[in-house]
Formats: sequence, C-alpha cells, structure tokens
Amino acid sequence: MSARVLVIVPAHDEEASLGRTLEETRAVAPDVDLLVVDDGSHDATSDVARAHGVPVVRHAVNLGVGGALQTGFRYAVEHGYDIGVQLDADGQHDPAFLPALLAPVREGRADVSIGSRYVSRSGYRAPVARRLGMVMFAGVVRLALGTRIHDTTSGFRAYGRRVMAQCQHDFPKDFPDAPLLIQLVRRGFRLVEVPVTMRERRAGQSFYTLGKSIYYPYKNLLASLMAWLQRPA
Amino acid sequence: MEFLSKTQIIAALGAVGMAVYVLDLVRRRRLSEEYSLLWLVSSVVIALLGFSTPLLRWITNALGILGESSTVFAFGLAFSTAMLLYMSIKLSRLGMENHELTRELALLRHELEVRTAPPVRPGEGA
Repeated sequence: MSARVLVIVPAHDEEASLGRTLEETRAVAPDVDLLVVDDGSHDATSDVARAHGVPVVRHAVNLGVGGALQTGFRYAVEHGYDIGVQLDADGQHDPAFLPALLAPVREGRADVSIGSRYVSRSGYRAPVARRLGMVMFAGVVRLALGTRIHDTTSGFRAYGRRVMAQCQHDFPKDFPDAPLLIQLVRRGFRLVEVPVTMRERRAGQSFYTLGKSIYYPYKNLLASLMAWLQRPA
Repeated sequence: MEFLSKTQIIAALGAVGMAVYVLDLVRRRRLSEEYSLLWLVSSVVIALLGFSTPLLRWITNALGILGESSTVFAFGLAFSTAMLLYMSIKLSRLGMENHELTRELALLRHELEVRTAPPVRPGEGA
C-alpha cells in the first residue's frame, strides 16, 4: 500500500499566488491530497482554495507559519495521512520536487526530508542579511548536533507520521527552523536533505518579514539552546 | 507612634489605601482572588514598614541599607518585579492557550463545514 500524502499549504493573504500553486501541485502530483491552512487572512485566500476544491482550515487570527503547520499536522494525523509536506503558497516551493522530497520518507530512510538549497549548487541567492542568518543557524545546528544540515531555514519539508503526531502538541510557535531541527534530532528522528531549487515568490508578503528584526535571531538562538538542553527522549 | 518623615506617613497611608482598594476590587469581582494575593501582600508589607518604625529600622540595619526610605523602595521594587514576572508568565500561558484554541476552533469549524455542506468539486468553482 502506498503512503497517503497530505500537502499542507500555509497561507496568509496569498490570494494572488495560491491558485497557481494548487494547480501546479495537482498537475505534478495528482496522487497527493491538499490542505490549505488559511492563517487568518484578510483577503480571499480561503475562497481561492475552495474554488479549487481544496479543503480549508481557517485560523480566526494569524498564528504564524509554525501554528499553521501545526494545524496541518493535526489534520493529517486525524485523517490518517502517513506523510505531511509543507508547501508554501507563494510559489517559492516548486511542486516538481515533491516526488524527490517524499522519496526518503516514503522509503522509510528518514522521518523528515528537507528540501535544501545548498546540498548542490542551486540558483537561489538570498539577501545578505538573510544569508548571514542562515550561515549562523547552520552553525548553531552543527554545534548542537554534531551533524551538518545545510539549509536550516528551508520550509519545504516532508514529515513522517510519527513526527507529525509529536509536533501537533509541541512545536515552535512562529518559525520552525533551527530549534525544530535540533529538537527533532534530539528526539531520535532521522533527517535527510534533498537538493531543490527555490523560486522567487510570486506575490504576497513573506512570513519572514518580522524575522528581519532583532527578535528572530534572538528567539531562534534561545529556542535552539533550549531544544539542545532538552533531554533526548 | 514615631515617624521618621512625612514620606513615611504618606507611604503607610497609601499602602493601606491600596490594600482597601484591592479588597474592594475583589469584592466587586473586578479582580480575581489569585491576582489579588501579591498586591495585598505587598500593600500590607509596605504598610507595616510605614507604621512600625522599629521594624523598619531593624530591617534596614539587618540588611545594611543606608537609609530607611531605601528599604521601603527596595521592598516596593521587589514586589513590582515579582508582579511583572508573574504577569509575563501568565501572559505567555494565555498566549499558548489562545494559540491552541485558535487551532482547535479552525479544525472544528472545518469539520462542521464538511458535515453540513456538500463538498465543492474541482472545476465547479465558487
């Protein structure tokens, strides 16, 4: 029996790009189910999803991408899915990579598969400040785990059922980046990276605008430390 | 009764007023018993320090504080800090509960929509 896959699309004010993301995903991966988690949008995000026949779970207020993903995990677990994939609505995550991303989890080689921009040379060039942050958190993760994860900020990931079952209760609230990876490895989950190419976002606002402030690095460092201090299960 | 300064009297009376106000808030159900505790304890302690100069002197000497007024301020500040930290903890918990409820509500609402309305098939469009 093949694994049931749910593609979770967290969306906050993404009416402009959501439709195309859903269509593309359907086209390249007709065997997976879709779920849009509308994270308190003020635009027609939910309507766009419904118009495409995709189920929508709508937060009354904006919780951030972590909260949206957590809702998706819970839905996936309750509806008996084996794998959950985060796919951003803005078009940065190319659904063409879904089969490659899913493969390690499907084959039981890993619990979490990360669509990574740095495993091989892919075209993506982030702004300098962002790149600095990425390098720093890759360093933090390496320091904490002793293993190297090249792309700690990539949201394009596939999560196995056991990971989703745990994460629906305990999950970083806003940005599921370095602290989550540390937490997962400490709990004995196996992570692999799969090379992907990311595209420019099509429209809408990045979830990560707030991350440019001082708060995000601070929060991520502290959360990483806490995740590292946590006793392995 | 001996007072060291006018400020001591003002602090003492102010603390008593505060305690009475806190109790009244509880009576009118504007403040829960839980939150009243720290307020009440801090008002009573400040009032005690204000009305009992020997006690104030003794604590000041025992802690090696230079002036009696500093002792009163130190206690006030300690209580304020405790209160703020307590509030931050409470706020964090409220935030987490809120987070949880938002997600729960979203899933329940989705469940309700699925049960009450026939699903829209792709292509039919809204």
